[in-house]
Amino acid sequence: MAVISVHDIIKSYGHIRALKGVSFDVEEGEVFGVVGPDGAGKSTLFNILTTLLLPDSGTATVLGRDLFKEYLEIRKNIGYLPGTFSLYPDLTVEENLIFFATMYQSSIRENMSIIKPIWQQLMPFKKRPAGKLSGGMKQKLALCCALIHKPTLLFLDEPTTGVDPVSRKEFWEILGTIKTQGITVVVSTPYMDEATLCDRIALLQEGTFIRMDTPPNIISSFKGELVTLRTDDIFKLLRKMADCPLNCTFYPYGENLHVIFYDPIATILPQFEEFLQQNDIAYDNLMQISPTIEDCFIEIAGSTHP
Amino acid sequence: MKELQQILKKEFTHIFRDRITLFLVLAIPIMLVLLFGFTISTDIHHATISVLDLSNDSQSKALVEKITASGYFEVVSYPKSESEIGNDFRDKNIKLAIIIPNEFEEQLTNEKFVTIQIISDVSDMNVASILNNYVKAILIDFTNDYNGTATMPIELCTQMMYNPEANSVYMFVPGIITLIMIIVTALMSSITLAREVETGTMRMLLIAPVNKAWVVVGKVIPYMILSFISTITIIVISVLVFKMPIKGSVWLLLAVCIVFMLTSASFGTAISSLVKTQIDAMMITMMGLFLPTALLSGFLFPIDNMPYFFQILANIFPGKWFIIAIKDVMLKGSGFFDIWLYMLILFLMAAVLMTLSLIRLDKRR
Repeated sequence: MAVISVHDIIKSYGHIRALKGVSFDVEEGEVFGVVGPDGAGKSTLFNILTTLLLPDSGTATVLGRDLFKEYLEIRKNIGYLPGTFSLYPDLTVEENLIFFATMYQSSIRENMSIIKPIWQQLMPFKKRPAGKLSGGMKQKLALCCALIHKPTLLFLDEPTTGVDPVSRKEFWEILGTIKTQGITVVVSTPYMDEATLCDRIALLQEGTFIRMDTPPNIISSFKGELVTLRTDDIFKLLRKMADCPLNCTFYPYGENLHVIFYDPIATILPQFEEFLQQNDIAYDNLMQISPTIEDCFIEIAGSTHP
Repeated sequence: MKELQQILKKEFTHIFRDRITLFLVLAIPIMLVLLFGFTISTDIHHATISVLDLSNDSQSKALVEKITASGYFEVVSYPKSESEIGNDFRDKNIKLAIIIPNEFEEQLTNEKFVTIQIISDVSDMNVASILNNYVKAILIDFTNDYNGTATMPIELCTQMMYNPEANSVYMFVPGIITLIMIIVTALMSSITLAREVETGTMRMLLIAPVNKAWVVVGKVIPYMILSFISTITIIVISVLVFKMPIKGSVWLLLAVCIVFMLTSASFGTAISSLVKTQIDAMMITMMGLFLPTALLSGFLFPIDNMPYFFQILANIFPGKWFIIAIKDVMLKGSGFFDIWLYMLILFLMAAVLMTLSLIRLDKRR
């Protein structure tokens, strides 16, 4: 049974169209990732699904209940971690948790089993004001607050934005344990590396889903030939690439440059090396690699918006 | 109810952790009432005057004695004729001259109408009218001593009858209570609710299955309690320090204050339901409620003297009705049946605004 079923949701703010007709289903027990750059419409989608915002048109059911008519029932059974820190900074960790537990007609003792792995990490700081926690700890506390009433569906809007890499890894480990408790998770992230940790992902760009599948399927459907190379002067390389006569898409990737070619690699690679030499570019580590989700996103986004 | 308790507890925690705001909220009323009472007081002491006593009999001397003893006046000159009075205004800078007519005692004993002439320096209208009122008050006192009645030898200004000594603090106290209640209840309520919206905690409360009325009531009650403490402080200071009378029932006075607190809190809630940030909430409350209340409630300027448009406009601000009600209770000794209409108006304003803001709060946008 689909936990969430969305059909053709449209939402505009004035003349800005934030969501241009989004449709998808989320199955019970899966981790569904909404991946996309800032401003793609992730938070708007989350606000609609958490019953905070009304869409302009479209239909949707959440937990089998109509998003428009039965939103009060939906609210009882969902947990929500908003994209911006939404706890009381002057209340302590413990006070925040007790407060939200009461608001959801629950208590810490009642549902300790669900939050235990996170709560143990927070215990040393329980008397500290929430505003004085580190970014990672803030998100863990927010997650505790979102889980305290034992929701069957959890919405996490960019839970790891602004969080250090170690805490991000820990956070995703926690999501893994939440999943084993049978809670369906809908999570959004601008980080492509996190997308592979989801069961299914939807690539959101400018208010539309440009692709929705499992991460392995998305990677295997990558059509181009991906090549990476390293150079000391990436800016010079980028400038020269703008005049490259070959059919390709290129973008910086960390310290390297990634180039997607749409012709067979055996014929195109010598031509590319020739181009680099002509332009007097020193490079090394030129090789073909298998794509990541980020490469796929750029390929798909590039083909939708040439 | 457990939720309401928890919200109240949380709100008090916010208040007690924010020491500076708490201090300001409790200290400002005391400072304001002392400031108005002592410094910005329009009372005048030791105004220099001249007395021309044309009778020079025992009663006229008694009257002059009474004027001197009042403390408001200092007689700097006893001219011999009316023509000398003009010189006194110029040379001795007197504010007022009193002329007691011939055969003062005789006219009094024959129960004739005595005319005592007052000449005022009207270059400062306020000072002149206050001094005039002092003289009138002393004359009432004098006739009272003389024949036990308040039959006056000169005409009385009726609007002063409840404050015969024109003691300005009596006029300021109701106004200060009004402004403090608006600051503490309306302003703080609107800011605290807007803060929940601004920090995003409001949406956490909105999607929680908690009654939204509890959220608002739980957030507003602590500030009503604070404002009630301030109100009682102001009243106690007024009574103890400035000897302000409470002629009516103290319980009725407190009841009126509680109704006005509800109205203020509802205004605050309504304002916060329209805005998204604390700064907007503050600006709208100050510009849209505090200032008009200060200017139009009759606290600083008499409503009767305003242009017709503003007289009508004054009606929509709750301060006007509240000030009338507490003045009536404190100074006139009015009972519930004299002021129930004002209380009803305030209560209806509260009910309508609170309902509207709750509907707006619970609506999805």
